[in-house]
Amino acid sequence: MLAYYFRLALMSMRRTPAITALMVAAIAIGIAVCTVSLTVYHLMSANPMHDRNDVLFAVTVDSWDPQHAWDDTRPILAPSEWTYRDATAVLAAGVADRIAVMRKTGFTLESGAGKTPFLVEARLTTGDFFSLFDVPFEYGGGWDHKADRDALPVVVLSKKTNETAFGGQNSVGKVLKLDSREYRVIGVLKEWQPTPKFYDLNNGNYDPIEDIYAPFALGAQLQLQPGGNVNCWKPEEIKGFEQFLNSECIWFQLWVELGTPQKQAQFKEFIDGYVAHQKTLGRFPRPLNNHLYTVKQWLDVNEVVAKDNKVLMGLAFMFLAVCVLNVVGLLLAKFLGRAKITALRRALGASRRELFTQHLVEVGAIGLAGGILGLGLAALGLMGMRHLYENYDQLTHLDLPIALLSLGISIAAGAMAGIYPAWRVCRVSPSTYLRT
Amino acid sequence: MEIRPILSAMMRNRSGVLLVGLQIAITLAVAANAAFIIQQRLEKIGRPSGVDAANMFYVYSYGYSPSYDSKPTLAADLDTLRRLPGVLAASSTNGMLLSGGGSANSYQASANTKAPQIPGNYFEIGEQGLNALGVKLVAGRNFRADELTYSGLDNLFPKQIIVTRTMAKALFGDERVVGRLVYSPTGDAAEIIGVTQNMMGSWVDNRHPENVVFHPILQRGARLTYMVRTEPGRRDELMARAEKALSKPGDGRFVVWVHSQEHYIKNSYRSDRRMVVFLWTMICLMVGVTALGIVGLATFLVNARRKQIGTRRAIGARRIDIVRYFMVENGLLTAFGVIAGAGLSFLFSYWLSNMFALPPLKLRFVLWGIAALLLLGQMAVFIPARRAAAVPPALATRTV
Repeated sequence: MLAYYFRLALMSMRRTPAITALMVAAIAIGIAVCTVSLTVYHLMSANPMHDRNDVLFAVTVDSWDPQHAWDDTRPILAPSEWTYRDATAVLAAGVADRIAVMRKTGFTLESGAGKTPFLVEARLTTGDFFSLFDVPFEYGGGWDHKADRDALPVVVLSKKTNETAFGGQNSVGKVLKLDSREYRVIGVLKEWQPTPKFYDLNNGNYDPIEDIYAPFALGAQLQLQPGGNVNCWKPEEIKGFEQFLNSECIWFQLWVELGTPQKQAQFKEFIDGYVAHQKTLGRFPRPLNNHLYTVKQWLDVNEVVAKDNKVLMGLAFMFLAVCVLNVVGLLLAKFLGRAKITALRRALGASRRELFTQHLVEVGAIGLAGGILGLGLAALGLMGMRHLYENYDQLTHLDLPIALLSLGISIAAGAMAGIYPAWRVCRVSPSTYLRT
Repeated sequence: MEIRPILSAMMRNRSGVLLVGLQIAITLAVAANAAFIIQQRLEKIGRPSGVDAANMFYVYSYGYSPSYDSKPTLAADLDTLRRLPGVLAASSTNGMLLSGGGSANSYQASANTKAPQIPGNYFEIGEQGLNALGVKLVAGRNFRADELTYSGLDNLFPKQIIVTRTMAKALFGDERVVGRLVYSPTGDAAEIIGVTQNMMGSWVDNRHPENVVFHPILQRGARLTYMVRTEPGRRDELMARAEKALSKPGDGRFVVWVHSQEHYIKNSYRSDRRMVVFLWTMICLMVGVTALGIVGLATFLVNARRKQIGTRRAIGARRIDIVRYFMVENGLLTAFGVIAGAGLSFLFSYWLSNMFALPPLKLRFVLWGIAALLLLGQMAVFIPARRAAAVPPALATRTV
């Protein structure tokens, strides 16, 4: 029966090719616009730590200015970064299962005599960074607590850096010259690019990962300059690096792993206690305002998805609504236009349900064709967007879940567009049409 | 005259009217709001930078070897850059205009610690700095070479500063400012020695982008950035030449990059430009879909009414009467749609301004939208209406 309905649908489409093309095109364009904005939205707001979302936490404490909140428009937020004093104090306390205290810096990499040196971005972090964030290694591995304690000159290279400096071979054990000092390579990463770059949202949400990773303690020992955002509020005298480290300036990120809700409560209690103690020493002038955020909450709180993209999503769905209304109007006119034939079929014994199914098959075919064409258009649209989103390649590829979702939306849209006209047409009473 | 029968015909096809009306209403709501956002973005993109952006570039040098010494390097580099034929001025700087990264401090009009703190985006420049930006003084004087000191954590607040007009106004209102003192929150004082024309600072989305202050400070350390202005049209040529002139293998430093000012301006406005492209595409597609929908629907109505039309023609209606019937019908339909659409536009704008703190929609965008949609409807219905007029009167006498 379905095959017969399908043949009928094809015949009906062939009778009015222009209108059929118009309906397919309307659905296709609506779907394409929705798919493109969904794709960008989805990739912008993805949670790269989805599997570890309930044990991984960004920690913030409010060490900011008594006069102003960190963000005047959202005073509930504590600053997103830490002072050196507080970050190292929490690190030393050793309360969390794992802890990454980190910041950015830069080095000059000399890859050999006669070659021009070049600048590399580096992350100074505790060794837990790699296990905390499930960072994949090609060769070797990260460093242990001893390397952190003793500020050993060891480095982990990104895949890209290993390719530039060592031609992509296993470079573990080799020596690298950074700012004219020697460091031993102990690990090389596999291709890794968390999108968004959740672990440091202060320096570009979609920035590439750092080129080099080295023990956190080296930063203070070698007085390595900050390589990312530094924010200060307190008018205080800062002469030299020592005083800078002890200032109220914030430029460190702090993440912890806490395996159970109990440990999470304990850790929260610990930092609240820490801040309360600091208050007795005259620091932390603002009300107690400490937070643990899961990765998902962290992305929300930092408003990683740009306002523009939310507006575009809203507009895209209104656009789809217009396309659907368009198709409903056309289908209604089309179905009622051939009410005479439908009436005849009713008179010859077709039930309402059969007629309804028959029309739905036609509608479904249009929806499916529109959806497939729409996905094609969306792929083209995303290619065009690559031009608009330079340096954001990862935001502009069509991925499978979104493609399936779009196909689902197009079938739903087709059904929404078709059910009412199909219902209307099978309610016509045969007698009105069969009188002449 | 014809409106009554048309209306009653429409009343009998209520669902069809409702569908097209709703479609037109949503189209209006989206198009008006999108056009309003586009206009705001274009206004933002079109803001003057206030500097001679077309002829400016920056050179970033990084010293890495233990033998590198920044002070002589800086002096030699500035000398080299200034000697290049076609270079009008060169200065070291602590930041690039509209690059998204820069330095800011608080400034106060009095030493009282309770005095309001005015945020100022400061640039550390040399005596050729203003010239390298191409900004003119409107009062007072420029920095002298003997007033320059070197940058450092211990030298954040100099003895003399120059401010933009907007910054002067933010500090002292309309009073004369040259010769007055401004204070840092730590109580250091600086004399305002000059006031410049307005210019944009480091951040494109800054609430006060023109609160700019200049400090007479030279850079030191591993990272040195130079700001260079060239004779009109010679920028690209001089960018290459400057890079070459500063790159001497074996001197313990290298040129990391050379970027034009326009590179930063383009990057700063990229997301706004992107939004404009998206919204325009959406408006065009939407208007196209709606117009095609009107054509399609009218074609159907014409086909369904062929017999009626033939009858009307047979009893004396002229072609123009038939065309007019469809035009008036469409006009009424669109009118219903845009009336609903006007309400929907403001509803949508209310939602946008609540959710995303956008300014409320201006009425004229809705009015323009209404005019455009009425015109579009009339144009779209014209083709099927002409076909309707071509129905021969003889059709009335035939039975199908």
